[in-house]
Amino acid sequence: MNAQFAPATFAAAEPAAPQASTAEVQIDIRNVGKVYDSKATHQAVVALDGVSLRIKKGEFISLLGPSGCGKSTLLSIIAGFQSASSGQILQNGRPISKPDASRTVVFQDYALFGWMTVQQNVEFGLKAKGLPKAERADIARSLIKTVHLAGFEDKYPHQMSGGMKQRAAIARALAPDPDILLMDEPFGALDAQTRVLLQEEIARISTEAGKTVIFVTHGIDEAVFLADRVVVMSPRPGRVRDEVLVPLPRPRTAEMRSDPWFVSTVKDLWETLKPEWQKGD
Amino acid sequence: MEAEADAGRLPVETMRPRFTMIQNAFAGRPMRAAVGLTAFFAIWQAVTQLNLVDGFLLPSPVAIAEALWQLALDGSLWVHLGASLQRVAVGFLFACVVGLALGLICGWWRTVSDYVRPVIEALRPIPPLAWIPITILWFGLGDAASYFLVFLGAVFPVFIATYTAIRGLDRNQMNAALCLGAKPWQLFTDVLIPASLPIILPGLRIALGVGWMCVVTAELIAAQTGLGYLIQQSRMLFQINNVVAGMVTIGLIGFAMSAILERIERRVNAWAPSERS
Repeated sequence: MNAQFAPATFAAAEPAAPQASTAEVQIDIRNVGKVYDSKATHQAVVALDGVSLRIKKGEFISLLGPSGCGKSTLLSIIAGFQSASSGQILQNGRPISKPDASRTVVFQDYALFGWMTVQQNVEFGLKAKGLPKAERADIARSLIKTVHLAGFEDKYPHQMSGGMKQRAAIARALAPDPDILLMDEPFGALDAQTRVLLQEEIARISTEAGKTVIFVTHGIDEAVFLADRVVVMSPRPGRVRDEVLVPLPRPRTAEMRSDPWFVSTVKDLWETLKPEWQKGD
Repeated sequence: MEAEADAGRLPVETMRPRFTMIQNAFAGRPMRAAVGLTAFFAIWQAVTQLNLVDGFLLPSPVAIAEALWQLALDGSLWVHLGASLQRVAVGFLFACVVGLALGLICGWWRTVSDYVRPVIEALRPIPPLAWIPITILWFGLGDAASYFLVFLGAVFPVFIATYTAIRGLDRNQMNAALCLGAKPWQLFTDVLIPASLPIILPGLRIALGVGWMCVVTAELIAAQTGLGYLIQQSRMLFQINNVVAGMVTIGLIGFAMSAILERIERRVNAWAPSERS
């Protein structure tokens, strides 16, 4: 593929680092490994093995791979929910050790607070920041408008469809104005049409907001459509296998799905990933 | 809305339009409860009035109502009821404090629970009745003994409900709160507590019911006031009407407590799937 690189060279060339200056690298994943001890079988499961990746500020990264390739584990380590067994992840040069409002997460199952209205859900991170009530309400309302949920401020999650819930969850994640948005198969539980709509929406929002996004998915077209760079991972143990730079301009629009480059890249990726996908099942 | 939903479940009724009005009046749950209770007492009255059962062995509802009226008039009903309610309140409060705290701690820290839960599970099967001798030894006859027995009855349901609720918390929701920058206090009050109330509140309701049974048990043996004492004393005086009057009071009060708590639950947990049937 077009932009393959050996992670080791980056680690070694750190002091000099001519082409990628450390200033613009926001997330620096250095040789991260994750091993789970399975108590039942007394066997260590290697979920991640020597993963290195540098993510620039404002970049949209898709982590693509079959189930079991450790992409969600990697995201959860970046979020600070879990710690790496080896290696480390730096954010602006500082190691990540716990969750922080500069890195918010959108979950596949939305993880909305069911006892709160949409408005209260979106305000949660602002309340944590200690913003005064009126300001909180204003920011939340404008974000709810951004995700096209205006009018649903006082609804509870159980009164809304899956797509609307995920819109609310996206607004909630954007509310604390994070540097990095982490999305863990956010559209995996949605029907095909809603998924396409939300893909276009997230393409628009991420471009407007200028956030760094790490988007975990097993959908090839979704990964290519959204990302500046698709990082392909392979399973057992989870490794970075390939990288694809996406030359399509931003913001991404629906027509780009029929762009010849897009079509052939998705097809090529599918051809290379097929054997692994089949093995995974 | 409830009436509509219920009507939808009974398509047979729609074929008999002239019953619709009556049916609507009986569709509400409180109304059905009233009908059920009235029927129960009516059958009871009929059975005693027709002398199918000896009136001395089972007094009729009318006779019991008279006895209750007399007890209310001379004030003894209120004294006994007040004493029982006060005891169950104090014991239940202690049970809530201890049960909630222990449940939270054991639910949150697995290691602590590994040490503590076997002890609790070994104490739990001992019925409060079996605790009475040692309770009297420790606390003598009086309020303290009743508090302790109510506590014993109520603390386990509170603990189990709290433990289960904390254990069942959605990991993703906790993580979502953490990555949004929640401080420990916000995590506790805005996430942990509301997320666990759908399981904790029914536990509290069950605990209060058990506590109410325990207070009567305690008063039968280890007290000089209360509904349990009223029953015991009336038995010795062969005032069977008063015995059953005491029992009926216990039943109705327990029913009322449970109904009130259930109401609160519905309101607090309106968002939860379990309350949306």
